[in-house]
Amino acid sequence: MIIKANVKEALKSLITAKQRTILALIGIVIGIGSVIGMVSIGTVVQNEALKQFRDMGIDIVSVTKDYERQGSDEGFNIDHIYGLPGYSTLVKKVAPYIVSSTQYSYAGKDLYVELMGVDESFFDLNKLYIREGRLLSDLDRNRFFCIIGAETAEMLQKAGIKDIIGRHFLFGERIYTVVGILKSLPEGGGMRPSGINRGAITHITTAMRAFTTRDITTFMARVGTQDSKAVKAVIENYFSKKAGGLRIRVRTAEELIAQMQKQMQLFTLLLGAIGSIALIVGGIGVMNVMLISVTERRKEIGIRRALGAQRTDIEAQFIIESVTLCFVGGIIGIILGVIISYVFSHFSKWEFLISQSAIILGFCVATAVGVFFGYYPARSASRLDPAAALRE
Amino acid sequence: MLRLIDIRKSYQVGPTAVDVLKGISLTVEKGELLSIIGPSGSGKSTLMNILGLLEQPSAGTYSVEDTRITYDDDRTLSSLRNKMIGFVFQQYNLLPRLTAVDNVGLPLIYRGISEKEITERSMEYIKKVEMQERFHHKPTELSGGQQQRIAIARALVGNPALILADEPTGALDTHTGQEIMSLFKRLNEEEGITIVVITHDPKIAAQCRRKVELRDGIITG
Ligand SMILES: Nc1ncnc2c1ncn2[C@@H]1O[C@H](COP(=O)(O)OP(=O)(O)O)[C@@H](O)[C@H]1O
Ligand SMILES: [Mg+2]
Repeated sequence: MIIKANVKEALKSLITAKQRTILALIGIVIGIGSVIGMVSIGTVVQNEALKQFRDMGIDIVSVTKDYERQGSDEGFNIDHIYGLPGYSTLVKKVAPYIVSSTQYSYAGKDLYVELMGVDESFFDLNKLYIREGRLLSDLDRNRFFCIIGAETAEMLQKAGIKDIIGRHFLFGERIYTVVGILKSLPEGGGMRPSGINRGAITHITTAMRAFTTRDITTFMARVGTQDSKAVKAVIENYFSKKAGGLRIRVRTAEELIAQMQKQMQLFTLLLGAIGSIALIVGGIGVMNVMLISVTERRKEIGIRRALGAQRTDIEAQFIIESVTLCFVGGIIGIILGVIISYVFSHFSKWEFLISQSAIILGFCVATAVGVFFGYYPARSASRLDPAAALRE
Repeated sequence: MLRLIDIRKSYQVGPTAVDVLKGISLTVEKGELLSIIGPSGSGKSTLMNILGLLEQPSAGTYSVEDTRITYDDDRTLSSLRNKMIGFVFQQYNLLPRLTAVDNVGLPLIYRGISEKEITERSMEYIKKVEMQERFHHKPTELSGGQQQRIAIARALVGNPALILADEPTGALDTHTGQEIMSLFKRLNEEEGITIVVITHDPKIAAQCRRKVELRDGIITG
């Protein structure tokens, strides 16, 4: 019941000594808020990043022509790509693709849809699923069929086009028939080609006949090992044999995850720094509030000592008070942090998650700040000479 | 019960040492009602603080129940204050934010007693000082005499063997002061509590069975 009485006392002093207490709490709120925001956003981002790998698996690599070392020479030979699984058992499946940079239109309206040429394995490797109609297969070789992304379908619907499947669209100088609409995909991640939602897809053989640029600059592959060094070596080896001058870059899931984690670390560091500074400022504020409280209650301390309070009782009283203050700040800070991360994920169109560990961390940090910055005032209170305090 | 032998107390004020108590030897027996009288500044409060284990003398020995106090352990001193001594002050010294019941219960919270029991005992002692109409009043809502009664209930709640009262009637009118004195006399006679009343009022001192006169830091009679 000492604890209960002291918590009450802290809340009372919070209510009566409004200004300076609230000022001190603002620091705690911002500090805890940014720590919680940081950890929650981190969780959201990580979840988002890993979603793609959970979806696609981490046995996918992406092989790109290395522009930096290569210039604008021609890209991969498609037969070389298809020859890769036969060359090494480490490579299970390949999926070359080609992206057109031309602008397309329908019924006189410009639609800005990017057209990709892919083969059947591309759908499997990228885990693309159909929402309506059918997927393309290798039987659609050289035929002017296409499927469209979820956002493209939405855009067309907004433009007043109904019954999209079976319609004909003019891409460049060719007319394509829509045979399917893809399910929406989560954005970002780095492995899956971007813009599928907003694009259209035809078979790669069709694309190579129709597009003005025929260079294949990227292909994806499913590999049979986690050893990214071995995968890189095998693929580089193969292409240096087949196409001596071609410089390539192999990106593995492992590398991408590492890269993402690096970015996260930077972000964490930044918010962590803001949080720590705010916590220190807030902590000093709390210390100040507690020191004033001790000075104002010298007489009370003297009375309590006369009635039998030990030094440790007095010390506990003020530490409990300081922790209570920080706890109140902590709760508000946690709410603030959760709101921040909610807003952040909402605008980034990420799936919002409440990180339980973040909330626990918030309470721990609040308690630690309360104990740390309450210790000195509490100690000085417990060291007061009771006789002198009573004489005042 | 209490034995002071050649107790001295001096305070360092700047470069000079001020001698406040200059060799006090005094024995207080169990069940006594004792007054210590003296003019303002003679060292009465200092003496009471020493008797109440709130201050350490500069020299001399102090024994409680034949045990010499060594002043090296806060736990022991606090526990003795908590269990053996009840304080009554001139300015009542109630905590302004607490109700009468909570004020009276203060000594008990340092004993690890349950909240329910603390409240029960506090109410019991408030009844004893005839203040049961004012359980939930704050000190500012009480008159001086009423506050002093609550303060006495607080001194009694821990069932101490000794009450130390430093000018308990000093802030009260004669009539109210007399009521407080009557309460002390009753407690002394009926319950056998040892009471030391410090005062500068000869009329108050005259009501005690034994009188000690303090003047300029020494006992003069
Ligand atoms: N902490 C202190 N420092 C210096 N002088 C003190 C201190 N406490 C008391 N005194 C001095 O000791 C003398 C006696 O004080 P006190 O015991 O309060 O007397 P009384 O209670 O009889 O009026 C006074 O002159 C006072 O100024
Ligand atoms: Mg005095």
